[in-house]
Parts: sequence; C-alpha cells; structure tokens
Amino acid sequence: MATATRRHADTQAIPVSFTLNGRLQEIDVEPHELLLDVVRDRLGLTGAKRSCDVEVCGACTLLVDGRPVSACTTLAFEVRGRSVMTIEGLADNGKLHPLQEAFIEHGGFQCGFCTPGMILASKALLDENPNPSEEELKHFMHGNICRCTGYKKIIESIMAAAKKMRGRP
Amino acid sequence: MLRRFRLEEPESVAEVSELLGRFGENAKVYAGGTELLLVMKEGLVQYERLINVKKLGLNQISAENGTLKIGALCTHHELENSALLQQQLPALVKLEQNVANVRVRQAGTIGGNLCFAEPHADPGTLLMALGAKLVADKGASKREILAEDFFVDAYETSLAADEVLTEIRVPTPGANRKCAYLKFGYLERPSVGVAIAFSLTGGGVSDVKIAAGCAGPAPKRVAEAEALLNGKSKDEASRSLAQAGAIAGKASQAISDLHGAQDYKEHIVGVLLKRAFQAAVS
Amino acid sequence: MQFQKEVEILAPREKVWKFIWDVDRFIACVPGCKEAKTLEEGKRYAATLTERVGPFKVEFPTIIEVLEREELTHIKAQATGADNKIGSRMKIDLDVNLRAQDDKTILGFVAGVDILGKLAALGHGIIKRKADQVLDEFAQAVKKKLEGEA
Repeated sequence: MATATRRHADTQAIPVSFTLNGRLQEIDVEPHELLLDVVRDRLGLTGAKRSCDVEVCGACTLLVDGRPVSACTTLAFEVRGRSVMTIEGLADNGKLHPLQEAFIEHGGFQCGFCTPGMILASKALLDENPNPSEEELKHFMHGNICRCTGYKKIIESIMAAAKKMRGRP
Repeated sequence: MLRRFRLEEPESVAEVSELLGRFGENAKVYAGGTELLLVMKEGLVQYERLINVKKLGLNQISAENGTLKIGALCTHHELENSALLQQQLPALVKLEQNVANVRVRQAGTIGGNLCFAEPHADPGTLLMALGAKLVADKGASKREILAEDFFVDAYETSLAADEVLTEIRVPTPGANRKCAYLKFGYLERPSVGVAIAFSLTGGGVSDVKIAAGCAGPAPKRVAEAEALLNGKSKDEASRSLAQAGAIAGKASQAISDLHGAQDYKEHIVGVLLKRAFQAAVS
Repeated sequence: MQFQKEVEILAPREKVWKFIWDVDRFIACVPGCKEAKTLEEGKRYAATLTERVGPFKVEFPTIIEVLEREELTHIKAQATGADNKIGSRMKIDLDVNLRAQDDKTILGFVAGVDILGKLAALGHGIIKRKADQVLDEFAQAVKKKLEGEA
C-alpha cells in the first residue's frame, strides 16, 4: 500500500488548459506524454496519424495557434494556454471547409492516410498566404508526404480552395 | 512512448545552470525538442529530468552597436520572418527558410540546433563564415565562444556541462560584405553545406571566411582555402576556386555514409564553394 | 567494419607477448575498458567496454574468447557484448600479430567490428570513426606502456 502511494506521489501531473477545436479542455498530463497520443487515445480524435514518428511525413500534423506542428514529437503539456485544431474541428457544424470540399472535388486524396495532415497544413499555408504561387505552396507543403497521388491533385485542390476562399467576403 | 521524466521549468539562466550542475548527465536542456525527443523516442538516451528553457525569454532579435543579437531560443520560423535579419543577414534568412520542414521550423530553435550538434545541420556552417560568437552563460558568469571553436565533434560542443547557450552574436556585415550559404542533399537532412563570406572592394577580395559542414562530423572553417582567395582580384579569386574547393573538400573530413561516399562529398564541397562564391558576388 | 592497425614497439617480442596476457595491464590500454576478469586463463576473459559519442553512451559487458594462439606470433580472439539499455550488440573479431624486427616488435592487428541494434542509427560513418579512434588510442597506449617500462 505504502509503495503504491509513493509511486503516485512521484508522478508529476501538469494541468493543461487549452482550446481544442474551439472548445475549452482541461486535462492533466504527465511530462512525457506526446500530443499525438493524448489527442488520439485520450481525446478520441484519430484523424491525426502516427506514421514516420520522426517529424518527416506530416501525417500527424496538428495546428497549434494556427501553426502546423508534428504531434508525434510535441510534448502534450506544450499546448497549455493555446488553441489546438485537429481535422475533426475543421468543418463548421457539418459544413465542410473549402479545403475539404476542394480535396473531394479535385481528387486530392486516395487512401486518405496523409489527408488530415495535408488539409491542416494547407489551411496554415492559406491563412499565412492566401494567394501562394505554386513554388510557395510546394515549399510550405514540402514536409507533407503522400504515397498515393503524386501530389498533382493535391496542389490543384489547394489552389482551387485558395481561389474560392479569396472570392469569399 | 517516451520514458517517464520530471519536468523542470526554471525562470533564470542561473537556475538552469544550477540544475545542470546538480543533476549532471541525468538532466538535459529541452527547448524545441525537435532533435532531443527523437533520440529519446529511439531509446538512445534517457534522462530523469528535462529542463524546459522556454520560460527564459531568450527569443529576441536586435541590433546593437554593430552587432546582431539573436536569442538562442528563437525558432527557425521566427528567424525566417525577422525583418531585421532580412535586411542585415539575408543569407541567414534563406538558410532558416530551408531548414527541415515547416513543422520543425515552427518548434525547433537555433540554439537547440547548435547545441545538439547533429552533423547534418545548416546554421553552424554559416555562423562560422559570419564570424559569429556564441554566448555561454552560467548565470553568475558568461563567456563568448567563436562559432568556429564551438563544434568539437559529432554531437559534441565546447559548452561546459553547466553552461547554457543564450545568444548568438553576429557582427553586422558592412555594405561591402558578401556572403552565401548553399547546401545539397537528397535525404531528409543536408548532405553537404558550404558557406562563404568576404569583403569585395574595388574589385578585390579580402577577409575571406569559408566553412564546410554536413559532410563530416562537425562544420569546419578552412583557412587554407581562404588564403587562396584572400587579396586577389575578383577574377583571380574565381580562377582559384577549383583549387580552393579541393582543399575545402579534404578539410571537411567527409565520411562515407548513406548521404554519399567520401570522395563524392568532397567533390560536392568544391562545387558548392564555387557556386556560393558566384552567388555572393552577383 | 574492418580496421587495420600497426604499431612499432621498442621492446622485444617476448616482453610484448607477456604483456598481452597480463590481462589487467593490457585491458587498461583499451580506452573505456574496465573491470577486466580472467574467467579461464588463456581462454576466456570478461570486461566492460564503455564508449560515448556526445550524449550517446554505451556500456557493453563483454566476453572475450581466445580462439587461436601461436606462441609469440599470433592470437585470434572474438569479443561479444550487449547493451540492453540501448538495445545494441557488439562483436569484434580480432587478429593480433607480432613480428620481431631487430630489437623492436611490430604489433599489428586486424579488427572486424560489428555494431547491431539501435546504436547503428547513429550512422555507420560516426561509429566507424569512433571505433578507429578507439583502436588508435589502444595501439598507442600499448606502445607507451611497454616502452615506458624499459
């Protein structure tokens, strides 16, 4: 009994208060917990994927304060006081985001494994640069890897979404 | 999954230094974590404690008395978007724009990059050519380390166990100062990186600094190659580039690995030196 | 990874040969080697090999087996070890040769070094360089020890 109590006392609980897809979340995390595991396993949002696990492929991309991060290599406590967006939070009350619509319309995905990361990264790109050149787009999206599409349709999807988003008031 | 560790979040450099002194190899400084967390995940290192240094506010960029001061905790993203750096050190901005990918640039810091001293990294090579000084701080005392003296070996710097890298100081380049950094790679990290800086006045090249990185265990300044270009006219210097490149290649201590064979890397060092010089003068 | 080293020692061959079998003094020449023990005289030995590259440390509890022995000329041995903390294994196939040259001895060795497991992630190049450094230091230490005790 005494040993169990001691082990619990050793555990460091860090309170993390953050906005997740627009809603306030308050959880305790241990320092070593990774953001990807907390989002997938504790919060049940499995859109983000563990793929390469070394920050190279982008399948685990989440937006923290609107900026793309590798959730596989981000400690969960780092989102204290920040806003986090996962792919599940992109649609607005069921209405798809122009990026999601564009990816469907232009065939920007096949197996869909890289897609949540692709779309979130594109959102960060267009938030920063609403009218990117193809070169600027490729530079930004360089870290999101797709094995299926050959990227052409992804670029078309993002450009189409950008055009649509620029046309909106 | 990472092994459990305790998180320390000190609010002063002195506190960080004290923690490092107290816990020794059982503690490690943690900034962006883009390198550290990877090797922890691999199980190649284990720490009882991680010391989060992001509360130290070391992410300012400023110009003071002819020196550009870059906080060690500036992320690559902050550096690539700095108007001041774009004006004074466009070569560094270009370098930072091309570090890894957008997610690593978002979290990774220049200080963390320098201190982890991964051989296949960019900033160290250019900072050497820029004559940068790195500030090693213990709280009660600090010292400046020349960038060219900072890298001892692969994953090894000349920082003492209880020193914290807090700032990078770059002498503001004058109007006649030309510099460029070029890299080459086909894997995720760069295979070869070459930096050159020199003053160009009345058609003459002087105060040349050349550094070669990524190919070997640590970036190296190549005085022998610099001597070949120093004091020459622009055209004469151009004609000496092939020889300077060969010297720089050998000096890079290129290692044969997945990034390329030794002689291949040595050759690429030469190619990049030539192109970097041409980029710098244009 | 293959390595070849040769060192000239200003000492007679008999002295060098005797030194090799004096386990404690010989092992002391291997950088990072500690706790040398004789398990079976002339046949099996144990030691702990520690090395580091920056923040990466390894500690290999090692068993050294003598496979062949030709008096005063040749030793063939194999060392194996595993570091479970870092999930890596090490194997060294060692060929040691002694050649007399006047009153000097040419001590040569050929080492085949294999590192398996996570440590290999550091990169073949880094490990090869480190192993080369260690073998160099070892050869120099043996030379110094033997010559210093003239």
